[in-house]
Amino acid sequence: MEFGSIIVYFTIMIGIFAILALGLNVQYGFSGLVNFGHVAFFAIGAYTSAIVTTAGAPFIVGIILAGLTSAMMGFLVALPTSKLSVGYWAITTLGIGEVIRLVALNEEWLTKGSFGIEGIPQPLSKLIHISNYPVLYLCIVWMFVGLSYFLMAKLANSPFGRVLKVIREEEDLALAMGKPVFIFKLKAMALGATFAGISGSLYAHYITYISPSDFTPIVTFIVWAMVIIGGKGNLAGSIIGAVVIVVFFNSTRYLKDFLHMRAEIVASLRMVAIGILVILSVLYKPEGLIKEKKKTYDI
Amino acid sequence: MSFVQIILNAVIFGSQLGLLALGLTMTYSILRFANFAHGELALVGAYLTYLFSVNLKLHFISALIFAIGLTGVVAVLSDRLIFKKLREAPALVLIIASLGLSISVRHIMSAIWGPDPLGYKQALAKVYNFWGAHITSTQLIILMVAGSAMVFFHLLLHRTKLGKAMRALSDNRSLAQDHGINVERIITWVWFICGCYAGLGGALIALETALWPELGFQIILPVFCAAILGGVGNVYGAVAGALVLGFAENIGLSVNWSSVIDLFKIFRIERMLFIPTEYKSAISFLMLVLVLILFPTGIMKGRKGH
Repeated sequence: MEFGSIIVYFTIMIGIFAILALGLNVQYGFSGLVNFGHVAFFAIGAYTSAIVTTAGAPFIVGIILAGLTSAMMGFLVALPTSKLSVGYWAITTLGIGEVIRLVALNEEWLTKGSFGIEGIPQPLSKLIHISNYPVLYLCIVWMFVGLSYFLMAKLANSPFGRVLKVIREEEDLALAMGKPVFIFKLKAMALGATFAGISGSLYAHYITYISPSDFTPIVTFIVWAMVIIGGKGNLAGSIIGAVVIVVFFNSTRYLKDFLHMRAEIVASLRMVAIGILVILSVLYKPEGLIKEKKKTYDI
Repeated sequence: MSFVQIILNAVIFGSQLGLLALGLTMTYSILRFANFAHGELALVGAYLTYLFSVNLKLHFISALIFAIGLTGVVAVLSDRLIFKKLREAPALVLIIASLGLSISVRHIMSAIWGPDPLGYKQALAKVYNFWGAHITSTQLIILMVAGSAMVFFHLLLHRTKLGKAMRALSDNRSLAQDHGINVERIITWVWFICGCYAGLGGALIALETALWPELGFQIILPVFCAAILGGVGNVYGAVAGALVLGFAENIGLSVNWSSVIDLFKIFRIERMLFIPTEYKSAISFLMLVLVLILFPTGIMKGRKGH
């Protein structure tokens, strides 16, 4: 790959993961919900969009349906579990991620199983020559990043966003203020899942081929690393986190030529590094690279 | 598959799982967080056994003992380097740190020994047949080792001062501290013992099947499920939960569910209805969700996971 197309590839992947991280930030950063099954919503979005567009529907229908089905799934996941403690929540959502992957792997009539779905159409690909297409797709992805960012910024300063933060800090206080905590958690889960679904759809139409091996729990962990390292509860942090992790994750691919190591060892070592980075971040910089701005009110 | 065989498989899986679940339930109740790196302790034990027995060519028994002890040390180290610094932090922070640790450890193993499955080089196992079921000599050894390890744990809890302190800590930490128990020292011991048992469990699982970097992650959901099923903090509950889970996974797959539905006389399904084997690992998850919704404190008395 030449240098220019590497930059375009990086920028597109950063955009896709930024939306995914923004979705997790609604759940974890704003509302304190420990969702360890984020990859499930990403997968549902990717598969929904891939299935309907390969059947002939246009891209825009695919991406809207991706957001809707993921939102529904987020709602369903939160319905029985939103009263559980943090630890139980983490375990349950991790399990949901695995079950969704098992479904994608085994329900061949729907998902084509381990072979995966190929030939996912790329939107507006007739408009422009194939060699320049990635640049067009970059614009599409970052349009969605901008839209997501704008919506989230609105949300963060809305009464809804403020209640979410109260739930995160002190759930009993939110209850005492008469807020229906249960409903707010459902909404936060569904909203975060919508972003993940849209991100999944963008991923599917960029790579044009998806299979269950794209949706392992490692993806969830990578998105968590982005939110933790970037800084929870703030939007710029999610984007910065996505930049740091995507660049790091992909640059080791080129590093193996300098290090004279086998590719699989480098692949393992980069995950070790990301794991250590998360631990160090939790221990020594719990607020992340960008600190959440907290308003203080004088009484 | 004969009925005896199903029971046998369930008990073997349950005993392997139980070794992991009893350690997890201790750390969960004493330190108040779900340790997602517990499966990776099993992985460390299994790979260290491989290191000593295959790479360094020690006798398998001595290799196993060294590996188990070292896994205990690794568990204590993980506490000293990470979890001890977060004693006062909310559970959420500890969970994230443990997830980071689990990813790191798994990939360190994968960097050293590669991502492909490995096996301990064992003499060919003998197969015994009885009542239409068969059991290998390896499985017999697994049952005996796991069983005696659990009896040992019971004796440790009830016959030693350390065990008494561990139970006190699990019940009420501040009360235990007020009675002059050196909490940090006991916590160190708890980590060591949990590490040893997890290491033993991991080595026994790898002995029966194979050893690969995903082993820890594969086992972590059933282990959590067993611990929660038995009530967090209840060691006997955890072992019972592991056995229940073993039965659920093995019986759930071999039951014709259309005949079960027939019993309720609501509607009839003409064809046979089996749970596909691909969904075996989903059964433990389904059990977990049911337990969390119906019996949030477990089927045996335990504490809520706070």
